Amino acid sequence: MQFDFAAKELIIKLVYYGPALSGKTTNLQSLHALSDAGARGRLMTLETRDDRTLFFDMLPLTFQAEKELSIRIKLFTVPGQVIHGSTRRLVLQGADGVAFIADSQLAETENNAAAFVDLRENLKANGLKIGQMPLVIQFNKRDLPNVRTDGELVELARRGKEPVFPAVALSGQGVLETFMGLLNRTYLGLNAQHNLKEKFGISDKALLDDVAKKLGAKVSVDQLLKAALGGTPGAPAASPGKP
Amino acid sequence: MSEYDSSRVPLDHNLQALTLGTDVRLQDLVDHDALRDMVRSFHALFGISMRIFSSDGLLLAESVTGQEVCHYVGTLENGLRTCMATVGKARTIEPAARTKEVTHPCFTGAQYRIFSIDYDNRKLGKAVLGPFLPAEVTSVPDALLTVDPKIDANRALELLPRMPRAKAEAITLICDHLRRTLDLILWSGHKSLLTSQMHLSSVRESYRELQQKNEKLQEAFDRLRELDRLKSNFLGVVSHELRTPLTSIIGYSEMLVEGIAGPLVGDQQKFVQTINDKGQQLLQLIMSLLDLSKLESGTMSMKKGTVAVGQLLSDVAATLAPKARKRSIEIACAAPPGLADVQGDPDRLRQVFVNLTDNAVKFSPDGSTVRLVAGLKALEESSDEEGFSLLEPSRRMIEVSVIDTGIGIPEEERERIFDAFYQVDSSSTREHEGTGLGLSIVKRLVDGHGGTVRVGANQPTGTIFSVVLPAASPAKQAGVPRRPV
Repeated sequence: MQFDFAAKELIIKLVYYGPALSGKTTNLQSLHALSDAGARGRLMTLETRDDRTLFFDMLPLTFQAEKELSIRIKLFTVPGQVIHGSTRRLVLQGADGVAFIADSQLAETENNAAAFVDLRENLKANGLKIGQMPLVIQFNKRDLPNVRTDGELVELARRGKEPVFPAVALSGQGVLETFMGLLNRTYLGLNAQHNLKEKFGISDKALLDDVAKKLGAKVSVDQLLKAALGGTPGAPAASPGKP
Repeated sequence: MSEYDSSRVPLDHNLQALTLGTDVRLQDLVDHDALRDMVRSFHALFGISMRIFSSDGLLLAESVTGQEVCHYVGTLENGLRTCMATVGKARTIEPAARTKEVTHPCFTGAQYRIFSIDYDNRKLGKAVLGPFLPAEVTSVPDALLTVDPKIDANRALELLPRMPRAKAEAITLICDHLRRTLDLILWSGHKSLLTSQMHLSSVRESYRELQQKNEKLQEAFDRLRELDRLKSNFLGVVSHELRTPLTSIIGYSEMLVEGIAGPLVGDQQKFVQTINDKGQQLLQLIMSLLDLSKLESGTMSMKKGTVAVGQLLSDVAATLAPKARKRSIEIACAAPPGLADVQGDPDRLRQVFVNLTDNAVKFSPDGSTVRLVAGLKALEESSDEEGFSLLEPSRRMIEVSVIDTGIGIPEEERERIFDAFYQVDSSSTREHEGTGLGLSIVKRLVDGHGGTVRVGANQPTGTIFSVVLPAASPAKQAGVPRRPV
């Protein structure tokens, strides 16, 4: 997180991580399509070849909070292919929260796990602990055959710590829920760490409501967050320390 | 510990600032020449002057036509002062980000439009359009006519309409269009800047990762080298310590066999002889280990001398004759008369050929012949070596081959037989005993003499070991440097 007192702006960096071809870029494209023209910037995609991300995608979202404060949320994806490890480490620098986009297909089980281990290692290389990073998990591609069943997802989510969101990013299903879940967790963590509410008078509820509205939500934030399977509501144990 | 921790990714401030947009300047995102071209083209199209400033007040591009009315007013004392004040004021107007453009009026009735140049909702600079005469102005305003007592109203009336005219709504549309165009240019500029920064950062990060891996490899290498040294030391010490008590075992058993302590009866003689034989065998093994550790640690000393090959081979044959005779194997030596001597240590060379011949006997069938053949090595037919035609005639090499008709060595094993402890048949039930040290010692000794040892197949069966050694000659030897062992 960066807070610029002079410019009265708060910058939050969120990273979409996951194995190759799990739909990270698609999540950003869907969010871009959902969001209000005033809030979103252009989706910037750096260097793609054959529709594969080489560096990263970046989607800036800007929201005006109370007291002239602007909240800038920068969404990034990492390149999923194994060889781009150095890029993933760079993109993770200064991340405030991570959405892990998993591929629901059974055949991708190993790749999901390997990408998660990679995330853990790369956070560590940046001096961050995964236990202190606000994290949500999305199981994408729920519409495909040969995927983990809903029952299995519920069971896995119940036993795990992180909220799990089922999604079909291509049609936008579950995308907003995942994003709001991540923003909620991240914001609560930042608030606990920096006491944003008291210092700057930002009400988390008002902010989340505003963001959801600008992103075209038809239901309340609470309802969006309820889409999560399992996971302990609220922030992780501690907030991410900065390297 | 040094401040730089190679296991940690250093924070890339440039990349952070660029991706979060916290330190992006207008002049960094646009190409100055291209921006100037765009401003000129706008000016040519609408006839309205335009200036672009960065947030820190730098004039980045301008295309301006001096207006005749302005020029005329400038010739009047009060007119010049008022004009300067108007232009000065226009420069200080800073419209906020995400706001509509500001209209700044001039006393001539003309106007300036000033709008903020934003990128990603941040103000990076401003554009100033004008002066232009709004279409609504149809007469010379009083402000112009009263600006200076000396003003000529007719002249002002004549010059003012020559100023470019535009409708207020048209100017608003033009400003919107410019804003959008600039946004696209800035976005493209940001994208390419970010791409090149990302290239740099990625390369730097990959380099850091490689450095880190190299450090780990170097550490592992150093550790292995140290272990290797410790192993050689250990072998040396252990061999030496084993030899001392063994000498007593051999000596006393020998004395018993010779009857010095009284005659032996029944099986006693046979048993004590076995103790002696096995003791000798163990001593051989220990000597080999000692040799190997000396060769590996580079502490083996070699005498420099000349060795007559024919004599050497006869000695070797004589040494192994008793063993060969037991299996009716003949050891035949052949060395042409007048063959040059070999440079080297006689004891070590003897060890080389005893090892090779012993092996040959061991693996030959009963009643066969092992041949030791020496000769001047023939010149190479051809070679890729630079200066071959000069170097080759100066080299005189003696080749000694140890030829058997035994089981032979499979081709795929030939490279590895010189490794220490390597056995072609390493099964516990193998037919032939041995430590697997003989050939590795041979190789190291021959290397130490500046020679080479090769292994090939004999026809129809068997093996040929060829040892090539530099010949001793009163003439200077060239091209065969002696290597330290």
